[in-house]
Amino acid sequence: MESQWLLAVFLLVAGTSTAARDRISPNDWLERMSVAVATTDYEGTVIRRQNGEAQALKVVHKVIDGVVNEKVITQEGNGLEIVRIGNEVHCILPDKKSVLIEQWNDRSTLFSTLPSSDVSFGSEYDLSLVREERVAGRPAVVLAIRPHDSFRFGHRIWLDRETAFPLRTELVGHDGRMIEQFKFADINLESAVSRQSLEPSINLDNFTWYTDPVRVEAAEVETNWACDDLPPGFRVISTRHERLPGADTPVTHIVYGDGLATVSVFIAENEDQEIARRSNVGASTSFSFESGDYQITAVGEVPAETVQRIASSMRLR
Amino acid sequence: MNDALKMQISVFVDGELPENESELLLRRLSQDATLRTQVAQYLRIGRLIRREREIPRMDELRKRIAMALGEQPDETPARPEQSRRRLLKPAAGFAIAAAVAVVALVGLRQTDTPGALEPAESVAASQPSPVPGYTEPLPADALAQRPGDMLTQYYLSHGATSADLGANGILTRLVTLELREGELVEVAVESAGAERSTVAPDKPGEDDGSGSDRR
Repeated sequence: MESQWLLAVFLLVAGTSTAARDRISPNDWLERMSVAVATTDYEGTVIRRQNGEAQALKVVHKVIDGVVNEKVITQEGNGLEIVRIGNEVHCILPDKKSVLIEQWNDRSTLFSTLPSSDVSFGSEYDLSLVREERVAGRPAVVLAIRPHDSFRFGHRIWLDRETAFPLRTELVGHDGRMIEQFKFADINLESAVSRQSLEPSINLDNFTWYTDPVRVEAAEVETNWACDDLPPGFRVISTRHERLPGADTPVTHIVYGDGLATVSVFIAENEDQEIARRSNVGASTSFSFESGDYQITAVGEVPAETVQRIASSMRLR
Repeated sequence: MNDALKMQISVFVDGELPENESELLLRRLSQDATLRTQVAQYLRIGRLIRREREIPRMDELRKRIAMALGEQPDETPARPEQSRRRLLKPAAGFAIAAAVAVVALVGLRQTDTPGALEPAESVAASQPSPVPGYTEPLPADALAQRPGDMLTQYYLSHGATSADLGANGILTRLVTLELREGELVEVAVESAGAERSTVAPDKPGEDDGSGSDRR
C-alpha cells in the first residue's frame, strides 16, 4: 500500500514537472538557451551542412573560472584546429605546421551567434514551439522563428528538453529550404569535461607561430549615405569608417538589422578592384555594384534579393 | 571552346565517340595546343573516375591520344597540371591550400565576375557530363574561385561587427574562421621576412588553460 502511495506521488510530481515544462513560452526557451550556452560544459561531434556538403567538427567547451575554453577540430580536409582560451584564439594548421594567434571578443564562441532572449524580434518574425524530436539521442523541443516575408531567413532550433542546450540549428529559406544546419551527432552534457581535452590534439613543438595582424581600424561617424528602399523591419544599427587591410582609403560601413538578421553595407571609393557582383559564403550572401565613383557592397545572412535591394538603393544625400 | 566541342572531347575521353569522329578530333588535337591541354585535363579526371569503374577501351584510346600528342601515354595527362602546380607553390605557397580550404569548407559561390566566370566555366567543363561519378577539384581552379581580397575583408568585417552586436544569424562564426584561415596564409607568406611575424616559443596550455596573461 505504501509503495502504491509513493508511486502515485512520484507520478504526480513527474506529471507536474512535465506540465510546467510544457507551459514554458518560446521566449522562455530562448532565455534558458542563452543561459545554457553560457554555462554548459560539453563535448561532442557537430555536423555542419550547407550547400549540399557536410563537415564534421569535434567540439569541446568548458568554462574555467569564468573564462571560456573551447576547442574545435575539423575532421576532414586540413584538420584545422581552433583552441580558444578566453579572448585568445590559436588557429592551428597541422599541414602547414603553423599557428596563428588572434584576439577575439567574448561573444565569438561557437554558439554565440544564436538568437538570444534579449533580441527584439519586432513584428518581422513569429516565434513558436512546433514539435518534439530526438537529436543526438536526447529529447528536444523544436523552436521555430518564422519570418513574415522573404527578406530574411527563418530559424529552427532543437533545444535539449532537459537543459535547453541547442542540439541542432537550421537556417531556413522562405520556401522552407535549408540554408545551413549544425547538428550534434553526439554530445556529452553530463560528464565533466577535462582540461586535458582542451589541449591541442597534436604536438606543436616544430610549429611556427604568427601573431594576428592589426585588422580593422574603425571609428563611429555620421554619414550622408542612406538606403532609399530598406526592407521592412530593418534599421540602422551602426555607421562607421573602417580602414581595412588592402584598402588605400577608409570604407564607410553601415550595419542594418531587423533584430535578428544583419546586413552590412560597405561603400568604398572606386579603386578598380574587381568584386564579384554576387557571391555567398556559408549562409552569408553579398551583392556589389558600382555607383559613380563608389563601389557599394552589401553582405548579410539574408536572401540574395535582400542584399541586392539594400545595396542598389543606397544614395548619397 | 564551344559546348559541342567540350561534349565531343568528353565523349571521346569516355571511349564513346564514333570512330570517324574520333579520327577528326585526333587530327584537330595534333594542331591545337589548347585542345590538347583540355584533353589532358579530362584524362586526369578520367583516372580519378576509373578508381570507381574502368571505362571500356580506355587504354587503347589513351595510347591513341598520346600518339596524337607525340608523348608517352602514361606521362601525358599529368604533365601540364603538375608543372602548373610546381610553378604555383613557391609563389602562392600556403595560399593554394587555403583557397582550397575556403572553397571546400565554406562552399563559396561567386558569380557575375568577368574575371572569375571563365575559371568557373572551365571547372564545369572539366566534368564529363555523360559519366556519372565525381571529379576532384583542382587547386588552381579552386584558387580561381576564391573571393577577391576586398570581398573577403568585407565578409570578415561583417562577421566581426555582427558578433559584436550580438544580432547575427546562426553560427556564421565558422565561416569567419575559415576565411581567417585564408588570411592566415597571406600573413604567413607576407611575414617570411616581414616584421609582422613573430614566433611564440610557448605551447598553449602550459599554464593550465587560464590563458589570460599568456603574452
